[in-house]
Amino acid sequence: MAGCAVREHHWIEQLKAMNLITTVLKSCAIVVHGLVLVTCVQNVPAPVEPTIPLVGSVNLDLATVTPSELLLLDIGVRIFETALEEETNPGYGGLEFATIRENETQYLPYVLRNTLIDANQWGAVRVLPQDDPSMDLLLSGTVLRSDGQELQIHIKVQDSSGREWLNKKYADLTLEEDFPISTRYTPGNRFEPESFTEPFQDLYNQINNDLVAVRAQLSDQNLRDIALVSQMAYAADLSPDSFAHTLKTDANGYISLVSLPANNDPMMARVQDMRVRHHLFIDTVDEYYQALYEDMQPSYVIWRRYSYDQIAQDEAATREAYDISRYSSSSGYLTLIQRYDRFRWSKIYEVEFSELATGFNREIAPAILELNKQVHGLSGTMEEQYIQWRRILRQLFTLETGRP
Amino acid sequence: MVIFIFCLAGESIAQDDLPLLDLDTPVRLNFSGSWEKDFTRSDNWEDELNRVMRMRQEQAAAQVAGIRPLSRPRVSIGNINLNSSRSRSNFVNLARVAEYISRQTTMEIIQNRNEVRVERKGEAPLICGMETGPTPTFSSPHGSEFCGWNRLQLIFEITLPEQLYITHQFSVSANGSSLQLITSIQNGDGIPFNLRQTYNKYEAPPEEYNCIQTISRGRVCSQRTPLD
Repeated sequence: MAGCAVREHHWIEQLKAMNLITTVLKSCAIVVHGLVLVTCVQNVPAPVEPTIPLVGSVNLDLATVTPSELLLLDIGVRIFETALEEETNPGYGGLEFATIRENETQYLPYVLRNTLIDANQWGAVRVLPQDDPSMDLLLSGTVLRSDGQELQIHIKVQDSSGREWLNKKYADLTLEEDFPISTRYTPGNRFEPESFTEPFQDLYNQINNDLVAVRAQLSDQNLRDIALVSQMAYAADLSPDSFAHTLKTDANGYISLVSLPANNDPMMARVQDMRVRHHLFIDTVDEYYQALYEDMQPSYVIWRRYSYDQIAQDEAATREAYDISRYSSSSGYLTLIQRYDRFRWSKIYEVEFSELATGFNREIAPAILELNKQVHGLSGTMEEQYIQWRRILRQLFTLETGRP
Repeated sequence: MVIFIFCLAGESIAQDDLPLLDLDTPVRLNFSGSWEKDFTRSDNWEDELNRVMRMRQEQAAAQVAGIRPLSRPRVSIGNINLNSSRSRSNFVNLARVAEYISRQTTMEIIQNRNEVRVERKGEAPLICGMETGPTPTFSSPHGSEFCGWNRLQLIFEITLPEQLYITHQFSVSANGSSLQLITSIQNGDGIPFNLRQTYNKYEAPPEEYNCIQTISRGRVCSQRTPLD
């Protein structure tokens, strides 16, 4: 009945052959082009992306006694960005994984924020949707890799005067022990946040410790200047005409004080008043991120556990794939079935993982929605609300003082 | 003036109601539905195996006798000498694997404007977009899968280690009541074994439960209501 040999004139093979010819032609062009270049520049090694050293086991540099007022700098932790590319594995769940990454950028800064607060080394530490001129230190991060096995983040920290504190890539690995039994879903087994330790806690500890080390190198005058510059930077942001002249930026981008208003300056008093209101607002913003963190944590931790399992499974599969004896060249029935079943199960596992990603996004969707819900007449995403709020404060200040 | 405003209003309503015409996504035949195997119109793997072997033996015998059919390519005796017990056994194994791969008696196909998804019990779904392809759909150390469209046919090609190839070709009848699936399996450069199966559309009973996958509570199901 089925007599025709389907593969003998198969369309996929024809298309593949065409692609192959195109690729070969392109490669030839590149090789020719490359040869021309080689004649000009010889022995130029290809740039190699250095691997990021792992932080290892790190204890948090904890202040047992609250440090002096001078050392208690306010830190704004901006929600992270992501540098992760599209899924390399084609087909399943590409969009779901992209959504998870997007949500992670709002979750991971809160873990760092908690670590900085636990260290008892700093003033107020808040997660912010945008850069904020009222902060002494602004911390931003880009997620380079994030899965159940490894976290890599590029952290940049600058103080209000433009001094760079950190510009460093951090990486940490997890072990099976980092995922206790409560991180695997079984009926009746509930996730307990109190007894859970973040698997990548060493990485966050290292960031805190590096910040403490940088601060230790600064003089009291440096620290005092940072606080004053952030105060005047906020004032200049609120009313550039009134306060921009109090600051100057040098050729290197460093900001320093030129003059300070008098202690009893009524305009400055209004600025302070606005700053307090602004801090109340960003405290509220921080609370929203906290709510998101708390809602997201159980699902996220379990998700990471699945991700860890999946990577372990992939690595085992790769090891097996290289063990050629497992794929004996025999064309015996059992060998052929084994080959097919290995493929079948790897695909089933991948599809399940993708469905879990969908489940994860579905579970945290209400929390994301809550974060972006309208607050006090502001609308849009949290980032948009934040911009609206700063605009309102500027307008309020103009109304009160009669000065732009 | 009034007529002009009326026309404008009418036009905006018409624009809202009209779906966007997506010319980038090709229109494909509709494969969706519940399908059950029609055993009377499907190959029995043993019969098909015997048929192919008999045919090949006849060709080989004719070739030895110096009789060469005009319309058929020359049979390479060194390559597919099914009189050799080893080659014969290899081919039997391919046939048995084809039978194993297409063992399901029913399948469910869900199709929309963007993708088609073939669900079979005990297998990961076969999912393909509407582009002509070939499009990579899955890859692991244990094999890779491509899919694409050849005019009216939906095709999945799986490459397993050691050059074991599996191809599924789906085609649907013009009236949409029957579906044909040809599963082809080939080891290396050997001749492929093809198994043709026919499926008829049937009305599957509606699902009693709505189930969704959650991460912290596992699979959560709720009873369907008439409004679902």
